[in-house]
Amino acid sequence: MQFTILFAVLISTYLMVIAKRMPALIRAFRYQSFCLFLATFLMAIKQSEPDLYAVAALLFILKVIFIPQLLYRTVKKIKAKEDLGLFINPQLSLLWALGFTYLSWEFSTNFISQGNEVKAVMLTIAFFVVLAGIFLMVSRMTALAQIIGLLAMENGIFLLAAAVTGGMPFFVEIAIFFDVLVSVLIMGFFVYRINKFFTHIDVNKLSRLRG
Amino acid sequence: MIIFYILGIPLLLTALCLLIKKPKLLGLVNCAGYFAVLFFSSILFKQIALSGVTLSFFNFICLDTLSVFFVLVISVVVFAAALYSIGYIKRDIRTGAISEKKACTYYLLFNLFCCSMFLVPAVNNLGMLWVAIEMTTLVSAFLVGFYNKKESVEAAWKYIIICSVGIIFALLGTILFSYAFSISGLSKSLNWSDMAPVAHILDKNILKVAFIFILVGYGTKAGLAPMHTWLPDAHSQAVAPISALLSGVLLKTAIYAILRFGFIVIKGVGFAYFAHLMILLGIISLIVSCAFILVQKDLKRLLAYSSIEHIGIIAIGFGLGTPLAIGGALLHVFNHAVAKSFMFFGAGNIVAIYKTHNMRTIRGVLKAMPFTGLMVILGVFALTGCVPFSIFFSELLIIISAFVKGSYFIAALLLLLLAIIFGAFIYHFGRMLFGNLPKGMKPEGEPLSGKLAFLFLLVLICAGAFMFIFIKKDWLWMGQKLFQL
Repeated sequence: MQFTILFAVLISTYLMVIAKRMPALIRAFRYQSFCLFLATFLMAIKQSEPDLYAVAALLFILKVIFIPQLLYRTVKKIKAKEDLGLFINPQLSLLWALGFTYLSWEFSTNFISQGNEVKAVMLTIAFFVVLAGIFLMVSRMTALAQIIGLLAMENGIFLLAAAVTGGMPFFVEIAIFFDVLVSVLIMGFFVYRINKFFTHIDVNKLSRLRG
Repeated sequence: MIIFYILGIPLLLTALCLLIKKPKLLGLVNCAGYFAVLFFSSILFKQIALSGVTLSFFNFICLDTLSVFFVLVISVVVFAAALYSIGYIKRDIRTGAISEKKACTYYLLFNLFCCSMFLVPAVNNLGMLWVAIEMTTLVSAFLVGFYNKKESVEAAWKYIIICSVGIIFALLGTILFSYAFSISGLSKSLNWSDMAPVAHILDKNILKVAFIFILVGYGTKAGLAPMHTWLPDAHSQAVAPISALLSGVLLKTAIYAILRFGFIVIKGVGFAYFAHLMILLGIISLIVSCAFILVQKDLKRLLAYSSIEHIGIIAIGFGLGTPLAIGGALLHVFNHAVAKSFMFFGAGNIVAIYKTHNMRTIRGVLKAMPFTGLMVILGVFALTGCVPFSIFFSELLIIISAFVKGSYFIAALLLLLLAIIFGAFIYHFGRMLFGNLPKGMKPEGEPLSGKLAFLFLLVLICAGAFMFIFIKKDWLWMGQKLFQL
């Protein structure tokens, strides 16, 4: 069961990397978050810890429902073009993603002592998600795609924390969720501003400040 | 208990901003509030730093010498910025750059920003430390993009994106630290007060990898090159008092975070690892900033690159690691905070009446604003490390300890780059300060609160040097104790 969910996280991240248009990217992000929610929920049932239930519930409300909805609305409202400003086309992106998967596998098998495969796989996927997030931020040029890249990185970190330490202390977890929410709201606000002043959200063209 | 006053007063002031809708009154109340904070934090400093005890409350707040020192630095600069804000915001309202309502928003954000900065050195939990630093980014992004212009929105976007990505690496590092702690067989905890004493039994390899992430993450926020790219944009576009806060103390809070993890790494892996990384980043920062200072055209960007330079010096100081160097680096944290906010206030006044950042078109500042002009001259000498001012002494301590330690190359490079930067500063500011006024411009006075802010900082710039002569022993003892734990 655990492996199935981890595999689903992997697939949804590949979907994010090959997405060509904004709605597809948001949808893939939603799948990814949903998989994380499932994993946390199962862990909560297994360990029957009320803290984990709360974390799972927050994850569901924020990252599966609220934030994707907010992003969809932003896309509609600013009437920007829906394509992502790809620097690297989907096929090549997929190759990059495969490379990242291999890299993170190498890294985590060195990191985790032998004989603990579940942990090694979890760590691999966590690192892969973080790397894919960075890749999205670097190779997609619209502001909204960068926000999603950042959120994907955050998802990866969440998975990493669950993999290596069994989750962070409860109040830290809550504080980080709150932080994510606020940062998405603020970035969304600035996307509106950028769209208003520049009439586009292509961050590659923001080059008034130099030197 | 005093720490709760220090954390509570900014929160209280934030609440007041929601009730009072008169910017003038708000400015005065703010100023009084931060004076109280300054008072409390100096009491706290005296209580803890000189006795060397560690205070902790509810496992959430933990204060030792390093934390109270940073609390003191923050409160000094925040008080000066609150004082300066009164006059600055009044002028902005008068010239119609912002509305009265927006001025109230400014004070609201100012207080929230200060609150999050005070939280950074106070918290015990390393996860909360991360949250507090991320909060500073989120709040100050609004202050960077405060004037709704193309440039400031661009700067705010770059600031928030680069710092958020950077800080995610720091979170990754924090998790790896807690992983190292959890596999050592001890109970689960993220408190530095629990981690630091047992650092020597933690897994060395994990600590090494984790510290790289921490250094990249918090180094982005601290403005260490090559992760500094957000810094000149944000500093040049922010409101002047906020530029002072960003450069004077926000960067220092990130340095504080690096040091917190650094102590664990020093104890777990050995000093050399920490030292090499810090010195490497410090030297890169110095070289990069030196190059950009030479060719700079924008006044506020010039000061921003100078911040990168000083952060580099601080990193080198901590990297050298002898008690003398650590004492020097700590002193430099204070001196740079004071001198740089002083200069940003000066730059704020200049930009406000010349309406441009471009140094080539600014002429005759001494004639246009005699008081500000005089202060800026003093500030230039203070910032570049001339004799009677405090930065000279802290730089001297760091260079001496480099020589004593036998790192001649580092000392020579430091001296060379400092000399080049000195020359560049004198050149740039000489052209701006002297000469005739541009046509159609009248001399203008500064508001009283602005003058007071200058004088307050000037006293500290001069006193920093003399203070050190008197408390030399205590200071060195502090430096020694910090890295031994």
